[in-house]
Amino acid sequence: MLSEYREVFMEELEEQLQLMDEEILKLEQSGESEQVIQSLFRAAHTLKGSSAVMGFEQMKQLTHEMEHLMEQVRCKKLRVTSPLIDLLFQSLDCLKQLKKDIELHDYTRTDISGCVRLLQAFVDPAQPDPSSVLPELAKPPLHMAARLKVQEAQEHGLQVFWIGVVLPSECAVKGARAYVIQSNLNEWGEVLLAVPEAEEIDEQSDDLLQLTFLYSGDHSRHELQHLVSNLAEVAHVNVEPIEAGETELIIAPSAMQPRSDNDDSLQTGKAKSQTIRVSVERLDHLMNLVGELVIDQTRIHQVERMQSRLFSDDSVNELGQISDHLSRIISDLQESVMKARMLPIEQLFNRFPRMIRDLSRDLGKEIELIIEGKDTELDRTLIEEIADPLVHLIRNAVDHGIETPEQRERSGKSRKGTLLIRAAHEDNQVVIYVKEDGTGIDPANMIKVALQKGLISPEEGEQLSDREAIELIFRSGFSTAHTVSDVSGRGVGMDIVKNHIEKLNGMIDIQTTLGEGTCFKIKLPLTLAIIVGLLVKLHEQTFIIPMSNIAEIVRVTLDDIQTVRGQSVILLRKQVIPVAWVHDYLGIPKQSKGKNHISLVIVGSAEKRLALVVDELIGNQETVIKSLGSYLGKVEGIAGATILGDGKVALILEVSGIIHKIGGR
Amino acid sequence: MEVTKQGQYIEFGIKNEQYAIRIQDIHEIIKMQDITQIPNVKPYVKGVINLRGKIVPVISLRNLFHFHEEAYTKMTRIVVVHHQEDTVGIIVDRVNKVTTFSDIQPPPDRVGGIDGNYFTGIGLSDNGLAGILKLNEVLVREQE
Repeated sequence: MLSEYREVFMEELEEQLQLMDEEILKLEQSGESEQVIQSLFRAAHTLKGSSAVMGFEQMKQLTHEMEHLMEQVRCKKLRVTSPLIDLLFQSLDCLKQLKKDIELHDYTRTDISGCVRLLQAFVDPAQPDPSSVLPELAKPPLHMAARLKVQEAQEHGLQVFWIGVVLPSECAVKGARAYVIQSNLNEWGEVLLAVPEAEEIDEQSDDLLQLTFLYSGDHSRHELQHLVSNLAEVAHVNVEPIEAGETELIIAPSAMQPRSDNDDSLQTGKAKSQTIRVSVERLDHLMNLVGELVIDQTRIHQVERMQSRLFSDDSVNELGQISDHLSRIISDLQESVMKARMLPIEQLFNRFPRMIRDLSRDLGKEIELIIEGKDTELDRTLIEEIADPLVHLIRNAVDHGIETPEQRERSGKSRKGTLLIRAAHEDNQVVIYVKEDGTGIDPANMIKVALQKGLISPEEGEQLSDREAIELIFRSGFSTAHTVSDVSGRGVGMDIVKNHIEKLNGMIDIQTTLGEGTCFKIKLPLTLAIIVGLLVKLHEQTFIIPMSNIAEIVRVTLDDIQTVRGQSVILLRKQVIPVAWVHDYLGIPKQSKGKNHISLVIVGSAEKRLALVVDELIGNQETVIKSLGSYLGKVEGIAGATILGDGKVALILEVSGIIHKIGGR
Repeated sequence: MEVTKQGQYIEFGIKNEQYAIRIQDIHEIIKMQDITQIPNVKPYVKGVINLRGKIVPVISLRNLFHFHEEAYTKMTRIVVVHHQEDTVGIIVDRVNKVTTFSDIQPPPDRVGGIDGNYFTGIGLSDNGLAGILKLNEVLVREQE
């Protein structure tokens, strides 16, 4: 029963934590803003409510303290200072830890008492021991009717005050006492609101009892203080004028009544009524079905073409029309299903501001983060998969790329480094850039480090081009940082980045200029289930090369292919690319000679490039990747297979595998 | 009684010898199809076929048993079997009939030059002998 809600709760938790993260950052960057504070307050409040319902007591406690703290900020009792922001972040991290606990163990086991104590102490630093603290003047949020009354009173030139009265614990008839105070106040002016109401007071309670009144009248603050203090059995009186902010006729605070949690969820419920949550499994299934349709459609198209070549009558024409229409519908359908699986990369990117903030603080660097293309959409599995590599890249950029402010000044740059994270769609692919204006990568230094670590032999080192030297960064066990910090520099980072991107059929490119910075460019397919492939012929057999692995296609003459160190290579825009006859690798006879021109498909996987010789280029086609089945298992160099329009099976080349095998040396 | 106890088999031939597979292991028998070759696999794996939208690997018993290769004929069939999770096609020279065996004897170490491990037994019928294939052995998964 609860597990259904649990999922909803976790989603909400995720959303609210994300929101808090953003808002706290905003608070830090642009200072006090009522809107931001309000939003933080609401987030804490929402979580308090839902975690209480779900029975996560610690989370409730923590969010309660955060709510309380924000409340103090909201009514300007506390100023937004950097210790306050640190504390908020700290509490947020604590919340995240709790969330992790819930995810993993279904109960919370993180100790939050330290954090709670800090929060409490922050709100009331003078009396850190909560048991002896006189309750703060707790101002209940005002509902609409009360606001109107306050406004009315103010318009009549009356003063409006909050009056907090504390009754001592030994007071015997608290309810009656409260009633007396209230009627006294009503004689002097008017009580607009009393919390708690006299009837609600628990006579049995031995605690201090705090009464809060909202009072309007023509007495001054001092007069009131004096008057109330003189009433019998009053331990402490606190009179404060009402703040303008509290009476603004905005809608939000009505939801802050202690019992209004329901209203709150109702509101969010309404906002979300345009979307439903669907399990990814269902979407995957839908995607598979669409894949089958795509295959059948290409077959129908093929049949129709053959028919129209052989006969020409109306029924064949009609078949053509139907086939065309069907193909339009199917491609729409495919796109819609794909879109349903897509999420804006925002989800991922939103983590970065916080990360950069923490990193730059820890490392003593000043960094301006620019994020572009947040709304770029891609498959949700891709978003999940790309998160780790991106985080590594960014950490590296901050740790190794961008210099300290002092170093930057010395080299004539502005103290603040710039980190640009940008996502965009390019040719049916997603491209993500991570660019910083730091030191850049020094090829000579890379070779030196690689030699030291024994990753390459001295001979190899001499033969490396600048580009190859820079790409050493992707070798496992490579780390250029002089000191190993806990941020990066474990020497696994870039290696992991490369492997992940390879796994996703993506490519990664580095552009670096010494002293000016480095730009990493990651190219990913939009989705993993259906790929756009280039159909090529090798001898008689058709193969498919995933488009996302193709950098470009060139036609060259045989003379353009040179041999360096026994390896056929081609020089393309000053880049030396090894040439491979995949025929040998795939055990296919090479096409008879006598052709002057050959087509080369330049493929890439992660940072590596290879030029594949193909006999014939056929064209692009959307293809559904099907596995070869468990009997064959993983076949080297083959990513899977698909069924072509003519019903034949075509193999999809696994570019990363081929590069490892052929181009790796 | 004998019949139900021992079950029915599909008997097929390679060269001039007869083999059999339990009928419940057989998914269907199809005529020869276009086979897409796969590189870098064991020689007896001939490739994959498209079986109504499903990609099915096909192996050749001739190759597996180290007989010399011969061109496919009109009689050549692909016996598609279900084995554990896999669907695999087995190319045979011809399919004879559904049969039952009056007696099944344990396989000798070698059956006409073929490793005896490939068989669960030798079936005796009116027509003579047939090696009953042990799919577990015949369809050993490709090892890396």
